[in-house]
Amino acid sequence: MSGAAVAVEGAAAAYDGAPVLTDVSFSVAPGQSVCVLGPNGGGKTTLFRLLLGELEPVTGTLELSGRPAYVAQTERTRLDFPVTALDVAVMGTLARGRWWLPPSKSDRGAARRALERVGLGELASVRFGELSGGQRQRALLARALVQDARVLLLDEPLSGVDPASAALITALFRELGAEGRTLLVASHDVESARSFDLVLCLNGRQVAFGPPAATLDRTTLQATYGHELIVLEGGGGAVTIHHHEHGHEH
Amino acid sequence: MPSPLDLADLPFLREALVELLLLAITGGVLGTWVVLRRLAFFSHAAGSATFPGLVVADASGISPILAGMAVALGYAGGVQRTGRGGREHGEGTALLLVALLAIGVILASDVFESGAAVDRLLFGTILGLGGADLAVSAAVAAIATVAAVALGRTWSAVGFDPDGAEALGLPAGRADMLLLGLVAVAAVAAIPAVGALLVTAVYVLPAAAARMLTGSVRGLVACALALALAEGATGLYLAYWLDVPPGPPVAVLGALVCLVATVLTRPSTV
Repeated sequence: MSGAAVAVEGAAAAYDGAPVLTDVSFSVAPGQSVCVLGPNGGGKTTLFRLLLGELEPVTGTLELSGRPAYVAQTERTRLDFPVTALDVAVMGTLARGRWWLPPSKSDRGAARRALERVGLGELASVRFGELSGGQRQRALLARALVQDARVLLLDEPLSGVDPASAALITALFRELGAEGRTLLVASHDVESARSFDLVLCLNGRQVAFGPPAATLDRTTLQATYGHELIVLEGGGGAVTIHHHEHGHEH
Repeated sequence: MPSPLDLADLPFLREALVELLLLAITGGVLGTWVVLRRLAFFSHAAGSATFPGLVVADASGISPILAGMAVALGYAGGVQRTGRGGREHGEGTALLLVALLAIGVILASDVFESGAAVDRLLFGTILGLGGADLAVSAAVAAIATVAAVALGRTWSAVGFDPDGAEALGLPAGRADMLLLGLVAVAAVAAIPAVGALLVTAVYVLPAAAARMLTGSVRGLVACALALALAEGATGLYLAYWLDVPPGPPVAVLGALVCLVATVLTRPSTV
């Protein structure tokens, strides 16, 4: 895979025989960050499922350096579950195998360090459901950090997050990139995509892939979002209208 | 009023007490996951779904426990196929339960004309509990404890965040299947003592009350275990005193404790 952290070539995916994502080909070097843009049902989550190995590609190949860590949307978690922020971070150690053993001292140490890194060291013993939306997102991020993966997949990590948490998470993304980790971040926010190294636009197929400055033009965004796109005249910015469809996004 | 010491002195009561205490151990460790994974309906249904097996066993003379376990495991497998990776199993649980109950009713009324023995299996008895019943309950308690220790972290991760757990590379599907299978087998093990219709009294009510009183998985297991043991022993004493099967007193006690826990932990509106 010629040094790439993620290499996808001609990948396509289908659910029950119906194609949902086609013609996906891109390559990401270690340390690069990619913003995956697209409308609901555009294929962002499907791409992540392919990369996680949960879905077999119909055609094409996908190669990654190691098992990726995944941060799902916080809406998918059970807020009434009796687990603390530390318990959630410790879950990340399950990715090392040995799921039948209780967490070791070093597992707990790694989880505490990850919580410190996302600014939740003081809140380690607080129930997950009692944390704010941004803090919950950071706890899930800590679970991913504990896995020590070279590639991280994050599904809308800044959605519904308070500004302080958003700033902390964005700074953490830069740190992770500097450590040589590769980030693929699904997002609806076209403007924030400009701060990433690369942008991947999906709308049932790969619309575009490349540096933001060369990719995020009006034609590409129109092809990516169609009717969901509103271009703000004058400033050159663009926003998207998106509808949260829990549990059935492609 | 009979002496509580009769529970230890009279052989048939002693066996019933041991049986209920073994079920309480299973109820404590497995009930925690029944409640946390929202399998209360399934645990109740698994006991009731054995109905056709119990009818066939009654008519043919084969062991009702074996027949019940065969049906319950088949039922658990069917329900598991209707849900994946920690997702809800509600519809599949109801659909397959109705089908099995219908088959049971047809077998009982039109094929085997089954009678009193089936009633006893539906409602339980403290008379006639034998060594085989105790052995089955002891084995189920041991397996449930080992499984909860080995798989507790996985069940917790899947219950908390199914998508995240799959991404961690956990054997989520197999762990789920094992949990459903264990609950089904445990439901069958409880049938001789509390009956198929009151399995919930042992496997759901103590853990449901504990869920309201504790804030961690470990605390929940400990509290559910203590409540299940206390309710089992007290319920058996009441059954002996009132001359009724043990299932109903255990169920009423469990419901009362749940009610008290609900009142005690209700957030103040002032």
